[in-house]
Amino acid sequence: MTETTKTPATPPADATPAPTPRGLIPLPLAAARALLLTGGIATAASTFLAWTWTSDFPGDLTVTGYPGGLQWLTFIAGALTAIFALASYGTRGLGWLIPARNNAPLVLTALGAFAVTWFTAIEIAAKLGGLANWEPGTYIAVIASLIPVLGAFALPQTAGETTKDTLKAYIAKPDRIPAPQPISPWAQRAVITIASIIGLAVFTYGIDTEYGELFIGFLIVVVFAVWALHTAGLLDRFSHMVAANRSFTLAMGFLVAIAFPFTQNDDHYANIGVNILIFGTVALGLNIVVGLAGLLDLGYVAFLGVGAYTAALVSGSEFSKFSGVQFPFWAAALTGAAASLIFGVLIGAPTLRLRGDYLAIVTLGFGEIFRIAVNNMDGDSGPDLTNGPNGIPAIPDLNILGFNLGQPHDIAGFTLGRFANYYLLMVLIMAIVVTVYTRAADSRIGRSWIAIREDETAATAMGINGFRVKLIAFALGASLAGLAGTVSAHVTYSVVPNPYQFAGSTPPNSAFLLAAVVLGGMGTVAGPILGAALLYLLPEKLDFLQNKSLLAFGIALILLMRFRPEGIIANRRRQLEFHETGQLDVPETTTLTDEPAVTKAGA
Amino acid sequence: MHTLPQQLANGLLLGSMYGLIAIGYTMVYGIVQLINFAHGEIFMTGGFGALTVYLYILPDGTPMAAAIPLMLLGGAIVSVLIAVGAERFAYRPLRGAPRLAPLITAIGLSLALQEVVRNFYPGADKALAFPGLDTTHDIGSVTIKDADIFLIAAAIICMSGLAWFVRKSRTGRAMQATAQDPDTAQLMGIDTNRIIVIAFAIGGFFAAVAALSYGLKYGNIDYRMGFLMGLKAFTAAVLGGIGNIYGAMLGGLVLGIAETLASAYINNIPGMQQLGGQSWANVWAFVLLILVLLFRPQGLLGERVADRA
Repeated sequence: MTETTKTPATPPADATPAPTPRGLIPLPLAAARALLLTGGIATAASTFLAWTWTSDFPGDLTVTGYPGGLQWLTFIAGALTAIFALASYGTRGLGWLIPARNNAPLVLTALGAFAVTWFTAIEIAAKLGGLANWEPGTYIAVIASLIPVLGAFALPQTAGETTKDTLKAYIAKPDRIPAPQPISPWAQRAVITIASIIGLAVFTYGIDTEYGELFIGFLIVVVFAVWALHTAGLLDRFSHMVAANRSFTLAMGFLVAIAFPFTQNDDHYANIGVNILIFGTVALGLNIVVGLAGLLDLGYVAFLGVGAYTAALVSGSEFSKFSGVQFPFWAAALTGAAASLIFGVLIGAPTLRLRGDYLAIVTLGFGEIFRIAVNNMDGDSGPDLTNGPNGIPAIPDLNILGFNLGQPHDIAGFTLGRFANYYLLMVLIMAIVVTVYTRAADSRIGRSWIAIREDETAATAMGINGFRVKLIAFALGASLAGLAGTVSAHVTYSVVPNPYQFAGSTPPNSAFLLAAVVLGGMGTVAGPILGAALLYLLPEKLDFLQNKSLLAFGIALILLMRFRPEGIIANRRRQLEFHETGQLDVPETTTLTDEPAVTKAGA
Repeated sequence: MHTLPQQLANGLLLGSMYGLIAIGYTMVYGIVQLINFAHGEIFMTGGFGALTVYLYILPDGTPMAAAIPLMLLGGAIVSVLIAVGAERFAYRPLRGAPRLAPLITAIGLSLALQEVVRNFYPGADKALAFPGLDTTHDIGSVTIKDADIFLIAAAIICMSGLAWFVRKSRTGRAMQATAQDPDTAQLMGIDTNRIIVIAFAIGGFFAAVAALSYGLKYGNIDYRMGFLMGLKAFTAAVLGGIGNIYGAMLGGLVLGIAETLASAYINNIPGMQQLGGQSWANVWAFVLLILVLLFRPQGLLGERVADRA
């Protein structure tokens, strides 16, 4: 893209001892900022024009007067560019946007606006067959979005040794961010509330995107915007606030999650929501095993299957072997979790005494055997238990305290459909899993897990019973998956052997789960959930990916391990572990408060 | 017809195939302590390489006697290139990274290889017909096919060749040294990177031999065949003692015979009537793995591995 912009040869670094910062494009600072500001405004304004003549392009971009479809995304990206440009002028009231006082957020928002605009324009030309389908508005948008990019690369920047280094420096986050002004706790909570609402809005928009182009545009805008906020230091500020108000943030998170079905009027999207939650819950359970204890479990989905089959068997379905038995939900959930727990101990006990590699292969085998076994247990080629490939259909809807989850309910003027009901139940399960996860991770056992993960020999020498804590992690992970499985059996009406395999084109399967954990960030709470949402939505929204999604994930796993093994949301300890820096000489990248040191010096 | 000698012969044949694949696991593990999870897929691509030679390069009607060496060459080129490429571009950059990283890379590689074949090899989304060697011979009460003779011959030649190579050749002894202590081996002037590449290449070649015999024996190959074969070959490697090349072959034979006998006779045991047959064979192979890990984790011929970190 713009990286190919003509760049003047940078002088060798040793020629000038302290090189003065200058832009890749030689322009004065004032002009660069003006380009950013006007370009951002012009890009946003261009979305009010028609971009094409026919409504064949999804989202109807033919209207002059207000934006539509992808134009909205361009509008937001352009507006963000303009706002950051204004903030870089030092405009009163906007200074908080760039605590790090660097250029990277400007560059990134400009690139984001450019990317989404050009993506839309190219998509119009490609889909409708030629540039003739562009209206004057498209040309304006295409040119207007290029202006801030030029401005961004004209911003002064200390040149690196090569052009590549200079470009990297343009989008780098500074090592040190000035300490924030103290904010009152109530203001902090207000900020967290607003951020949660924005998060809900963004997430809802993403789930509700109706066509693939819009989803790609959405991803472009979100990625660049989040990246810009990250380099600006705002995310660091925010995570400090979150750390200071942990329980409030958790509560807000669940409030927002509960609010989601009320924003939907189509149960289809609630269905996507419940599937993401199931997938995310299981990924979080896997995260205990993989992320905290460092045990690679490749057959994790089998534990979900054990839970689902157990729940189906005691659900009262007439096709179940025990069709007369109908457990209440709490009993079924406990039975499912217990069954998974038993299998987890059976698999874990012999293998956890050995190196982790054996566990990987044994769990892989277990996952495969589970599928083969349920396929064969139809009374014909094996004992009669699971109905073979036909599975157990007609699982009745849950009925909790007289509340039938299969029926739509009206709550405060909103109609909650079947999937919305299950969504709320899954939020509850997710809350349980998150609580178990955080409590376990902070406990003595959680610290033992991390110690074992880092160095088993050293941990054992320190008196940790490695086998015991590993078995606890493995069994806990298994039972959480079983718990999620009990709900998923009811959501999907039937359980069949097919989804519970190592790799398949639709989630959840073990490969997808592992990819979700690794992509999102091992050892964090938000990471696997984010990873699960992404991995579920990508094939769901992008039809062309459906056949190749596994290929893409395979390659993504290789590249991730090579270039960013800590995932999107990095656990700090993990990050240090993956990027060997000797641990002690790592500069503190987060904000520093010097006060304690000063008081100590005075005392 | 399913007499005991016949079952033993079947088990022996299946076991030789497991053994050939297990060599790849065990050699790589012995030197870099990495489970090359993608090895099953290297086996699978070897089969497709051989099939490509037969379908697209050789003229129609080439006699099988002339075709087989060329197919082996084609399969071996594909397998070895992929194995070495995987080492160079996926595993080597991660040497020294936490243990989980290369394992996850290996899974990614295995998924990617399967999907590349499924998506881009013509017709590979279903099983593809492979030229078989189906002429049968009766030896006493045992019936075997030409393909079985090829498999046995190939396994014996490959194994004795490898044993000679590792014991007598300079490179082979360098390999043993690297497996014992990579750092010291390097200090003694051994290019350990080269040794690791050779280990991957030998594993790839053996996998290609196994894949060719698989195709000739069963008459079809598909993109998923590497998964279960790889899993069971790994079981064989553990059974024999991972890191030990004789152990890999022995483990393969034991596993093959145990699996065949289990699927043939286990339904005669009272109370287990429904657990026999081919569909449960994989389950028994896996149960065997668990039992081995419980009672003899170092394997039949292996040394203590539990705390080798």
